[in-house]
Amino acid sequence: MAGAGLSSATAPATAPATAPAVVPAAAPAVEAVALRKDFGPIHAVDGIDMALPPGRIYGLLGPNGSGKTTLIRLLVGLASATSGKARVLGVEMPSRSNLARIGYMTQADGIYPELSVWENLSFFAALYGQTDRAALIRALELVELDGRHGTPAQDLSGGMRRRLSMACALVHRPAVIFLDEPTVGVDPALRVQFWDHFHRLASDGATLVVSSHVMDEADRCDELLFIRDGRVLAQGTPDALRKKAGTDNLETAFLQFAGVTVREPAMTAGDLAASGAAATKTSR
Amino acid sequence: MNPLRVAAVFRRIVAQFRRDPRSLALLFVAPVAIIALLGWVLSSQQSTATRVAVLNESAQPVAGEAIASSLASALGGQPGIVVNRDVPNDAAARQMLKDKELDLVVILPADFSMQNRKIELLTLGLNPTGEASVLPVVQRALIEAVAKSSSGAVLPTIERTTIYGSPDATQLDTLAPVVVGFFAYFFVFILTGISFLRERVGGTLERLLATPVSRSEIVLGYSLGFGFFATLQVAIVLAFVLGRLGIPALGPVPAFAIGLGVQTIGNPLIAYLLVLVLGLGAVSLGIFLSTFARTELQILQFIPIVIVPQGLLGGFFWPIEQLPSLLQPVARILPVTYAIDGLRQVMIAGADLTSGQVLLDLGVLVGIAAFFVVLAAGTIRREIA
Repeated sequence: MAGAGLSSATAPATAPATAPAVVPAAAPAVEAVALRKDFGPIHAVDGIDMALPPGRIYGLLGPNGSGKTTLIRLLVGLASATSGKARVLGVEMPSRSNLARIGYMTQADGIYPELSVWENLSFFAALYGQTDRAALIRALELVELDGRHGTPAQDLSGGMRRRLSMACALVHRPAVIFLDEPTVGVDPALRVQFWDHFHRLASDGATLVVSSHVMDEADRCDELLFIRDGRVLAQGTPDALRKKAGTDNLETAFLQFAGVTVREPAMTAGDLAASGAAATKTSR
Repeated sequence: MNPLRVAAVFRRIVAQFRRDPRSLALLFVAPVAIIALLGWVLSSQQSTATRVAVLNESAQPVAGEAIASSLASALGGQPGIVVNRDVPNDAAARQMLKDKELDLVVILPADFSMQNRKIELLTLGLNPTGEASVLPVVQRALIEAVAKSSSGAVLPTIERTTIYGSPDATQLDTLAPVVVGFFAYFFVFILTGISFLRERVGGTLERLLATPVSRSEIVLGYSLGFGFFATLQVAIVLAFVLGRLGIPALGPVPAFAIGLGVQTIGNPLIAYLLVLVLGLGAVSLGIFLSTFARTELQILQFIPIVIVPQGLLGGFFWPIEQLPSLLQPVARILPVTYAIDGLRQVMIAGADLTSGQVLLDLGVLVGIAAFFVVLAAGTIRREIA
């Protein structure tokens, strides 16, 4: 329940994470206005406008280097925008106090290998101001790491580290959750569990922004944003995007929106995911 | 054994080094720079004159004065010595030594006579080894003076006294208290640098900054954590330096002693305070410099840049006043300089917090620590995506 406990009925009154009560239902949970980030001559985020209503799962889809991580870092407030605005729950980012209502699972695990599972989790919980011990226990139960409290993180398998990383991002019951490639290096069975969990969080009112370059995950999102070269190529439900592109394949749809005509064998649809997966290790 | 593979490995190593200018600099530039610094310090030492007062306290003032004046003129003829004959009495001379207006006082004591030729050499005693460096010159002058006076060829005996400590203090006695501060600085710097580097590289800093924690909270938390370990380290090192525990012979094991048993009249708590403030500066310096490193090795590469010059210039081996004049301003901006001076004042001269010198040292150390705290906090959010 730790991550999923966002329904206003169960969330403690003191936690600012009860977003649905704070933000009017109509207001977007995540908003970008002409958001731009340059690294020298490179436009990593090249003028993105978006307004994402709460309670849904949004998929940021695009190949590596398309600007997904930079966009998320701008929205979380870890990078400062060259121009434009980023708002989360109506608050302009960067805002340190607003971070208590935001969860961020980075592409790297971002946990301390020497510390145990419990020490890692309670460290991040303390930084988020989560003092409820029961919330920590629930967070571990959700990622099925209960019973491993004392295991040093460096002794965990890759998938377990990923789960611990997720528990650390959800332990404070955030209203908006950014997950940067959460399923990289995660086996298919666990991947299904992750997505089930994401849907539970969303149905409890949380807003999830999940980046991925794996197209077969895209269908599990409520809404997709195709991103390439720092721009949003298209936005809509998976079905709507497929219909618009006149294809039943999301990858083909992506390439069509990207303006890539499928002429070379190297640029067939499957290669987007393949080349992305190969580049994952070196990205960021 | 395939020579082609060996050659390939060799070429790869060379190529890697060529792409790593820091390691190259560490290999070639740093040793040259350190040796140059060492040579500079050693060859150009004593650029300032040694200020010597000659004082006649003899009960036979006339006979004493004859010796004193010939001694003074002989001393004045030595290179690098400035003689002061206007010091009225012993008490004034001692005060001038403490105020660093004098380096050495030659006293013909009250019981001095032509029969009892005894001369006292009085120094401050904070750095007996450095002070002793002028003794051969004084002895040479004495021999000259006695030879000129021709009133009997009996050389006077020389008795050394110091205001603080004892003239017999060994290198160990005076260096040990100072080593405490230096070790703390060294290890705190290296360990903070490495652990903060791990935060930056391992992605945990990114996670930290996505929480409501502030930069100053991070720096403060780090300071507390490393302050804690620095405290432990100082306690253990001080106990070892100051304490002495005799272990009796037991079976085949001969008797031995744990600890150096160095004499001190100072308050270890004030010494600890000095080391702690020094260490807090080192924490922030480590955080700051971790920005400029990508691997643990690169943190270690800062040792010749950050640690060694402070060891050479900080007054560890040579008093600041004896450094070449160009290096003196450099020495005066190094935190270790003030820690060493403060530790000497406290541990050897027995100064406490009422001493202006100790307060000045402490104040400068606090200032330096504050400067690096601000610098360190400034580097935390400025991450390249």
